[in-house]
Amino acid sequence: MKIYVCVKHVPDSAATITVKGETEIEEGITFLMNPYDEHAVTEARRLKEIFPESEIIVVCFSKPGAEGTLRSALAMGADRGILVTTGHRHDPIMTARVLKTAISQDGQPDLILTGRESIDSEGMQTMFRLAHLFNIPAATNVVQIETAGNDVLVSCEKEAGAREMLKLAMPCVLAAGKGLNNPRYPTFPDIVKARKKEINIIDFEKLDIPEPESRVELVCLAPAIEKRTPKEITGSTTSIAEQIVSILKDEARVI
Amino acid sequence: MNKKYDAIIIGAGVIGAPIAYELAKKGYKTLSVDKRADAGEGSTAGSCAIVRAHYSTEDGVAFAYEGFKYWLDWENYLDHVVDEKGLAKYMNTGSILIKSQGHKWQDVKNHYDAVGVKYEEWDNDKILKHVPVLDLHEFWPIRRPEDPTFFDEPEKKLEGGLFCPEGGYVNDPTLSAHNIMRAAEAKGATFMFNAEVTEIRSADGKVQGITLGDGTQIDTPVVVNCAGPHSYKINQMAEGVWEGCNIKTKALRHEVMYCPSPEDYDYINDGYHQSDGDIGCYVRPETGNMFLIGSEDPDCDPQEWVDPDEFYAGKGGHGRDNQLSEEQWKAQCYRLGRRIPTLQVPNQPKGVVDLYDCSDDWIPVYDKSDLGGFYMAIGTSGNQYKNAPVVGTMMAELIDACEKGLDHDKEPFQFTMKYTGRKMDVGFYSRKREINYNSSFSVNG
Repeated sequence: MKIYVCVKHVPDSAATITVKGETEIEEGITFLMNPYDEHAVTEARRLKEIFPESEIIVVCFSKPGAEGTLRSALAMGADRGILVTTGHRHDPIMTARVLKTAISQDGQPDLILTGRESIDSEGMQTMFRLAHLFNIPAATNVVQIETAGNDVLVSCEKEAGAREMLKLAMPCVLAAGKGLNNPRYPTFPDIVKARKKEINIIDFEKLDIPEPESRVELVCLAPAIEKRTPKEITGSTTSIAEQIVSILKDEARVI
Repeated sequence: MNKKYDAIIIGAGVIGAPIAYELAKKGYKTLSVDKRADAGEGSTAGSCAIVRAHYSTEDGVAFAYEGFKYWLDWENYLDHVVDEKGLAKYMNTGSILIKSQGHKWQDVKNHYDAVGVKYEEWDNDKILKHVPVLDLHEFWPIRRPEDPTFFDEPEKKLEGGLFCPEGGYVNDPTLSAHNIMRAAEAKGATFMFNAEVTEIRSADGKVQGITLGDGTQIDTPVVVNCAGPHSYKINQMAEGVWEGCNIKTKALRHEVMYCPSPEDYDYINDGYHQSDGDIGCYVRPETGNMFLIGSEDPDCDPQEWVDPDEFYAGKGGHGRDNQLSEEQWKAQCYRLGRRIPTLQVPNQPKGVVDLYDCSDDWIPVYDKSDLGGFYMAIGTSGNQYKNAPVVGTMMAELIDACEKGLDHDKEPFQFTMKYTGRKMDVGFYSRKREINYNSSFSVNG
């Protein structure tokens, strides 16, 4: 099985993001693999444990600094990487075309895994556009994957507590949700091995992808300032615990 | 009329709070002022709160070992005060000092013998019996992952370590300072928060009082600088004090990482504090079955001396601000990853960035100053948390003796430690000393 995993190089969610000019951010911060993509890489590795003849190829379209993110994916178990480098920001239409071209030039995918969204632009559309370009099915927020012959059975989380079971023919695009697995992070020996794995670096211009007829353009970035309204929880220990559970359940809706 | 106190302590961290406590016990009417909202919320909050006895000098070992007794008997030390936030816990895990080229462990062993520190010598097998996840190859010298030789295969093995059963760490350093504040208040001490000192007033070579940011003046004949990373700024406010110090202090940026323990290792319950000079790391368990990974500041790592106000405001840019840096995350985690080959290193850095109040020789300044009534407990250099209760006792005695007429510069105060019974020449910590080249010039002290 040939498993392609698309990963994105994003700012660390813990970093302080400073807007520079109209559409840029200060880039002297930590960039790393999009956290949802970590679930996708981990799942690819799990599938390879079941189908040991599989090959896992990570693909990334980004600035040249993204090699670090690819090395992380290689350390997490991918076999080799493809990095299409660009100096500019591109919209999901172009990103999907680039990923499609890079994957097609490399081989025949049996499975394409992505994260369900990127934590920086949160567009949630690249995976569908990619599936469309390949003319293959897609499912998102996938929390369970089972293979059944030429099909995959997946469980997708729709909202807290509700899941949908889908059967998709392979090849297909599956976008990983948080509940899919616990990311398996690399150990030092994994990191050493990853240093020697191959990364094919391709210049975006050389792919010669025609300019799409329409595009999404980023006009302006503005910092979102969240207002915090702390609330003191008082009462007996039991009552405090009950109140916290009720907040997590009814307000935050995380349990 | 300005309010008047017998002594004002600047800083309510883990060094300032015990000084207030001990002075209050001696009958001084004290006021502690701190720019933060509560006790221990400055650089104390970023402390790893490790309690270990290995230091590079015999006095350092003795001082730390004296401190053990306070942590082991915390409730008694606090005179059974009630703190509504609960009490900090001493996690008596025991402490392993790996024998390595990075530590002068033979000296430490001699100091242990001289001071009477309880310890055992462990060979590699014994270490592995207690910490089965370790790879005890020698990785020396310490390098950075950017250096290709970082990845070289090791050949030699280490030669065991020294185990000190009374060592460990305090689970919540902020809370420990808060506990001491409550104990001090029970003895009559007063604490004032959200108050920034902007002026040290003096006349005729004597301290008169302090002025706060809002213009409030408070009078006192005694001011004690326990301002942590801001110590040099406070010294500069006091007439002739900064100029009169041969040993100066400045703020050093420091990163500490949290990395999950290998899945099959219950580090939080079965783990030890470990100092490993071979890889330049120290570790202790952290909530969530994490490894807390500190750095022993090897020469190959960058040292960033920063302005504390800029740092805490998040300024200074990559590697100088209060955000973890990816490079240092990799350096510290990969170093530990060599020692623990099953340690999983997440892609996202997690940890704490804070400041050391660092002296020129990494040994603190516990002293009077060239300004009458102005005292200093500064330059704690990331290695004095464990000593804080002892520092409180010693500083209170030093201040009391000097206020009663002792010329500490000519005739250094001799401090008798309560538990070990050892005498210590407080002149060892003098601001006028020459740089102490016996020091490790690192967090090891």
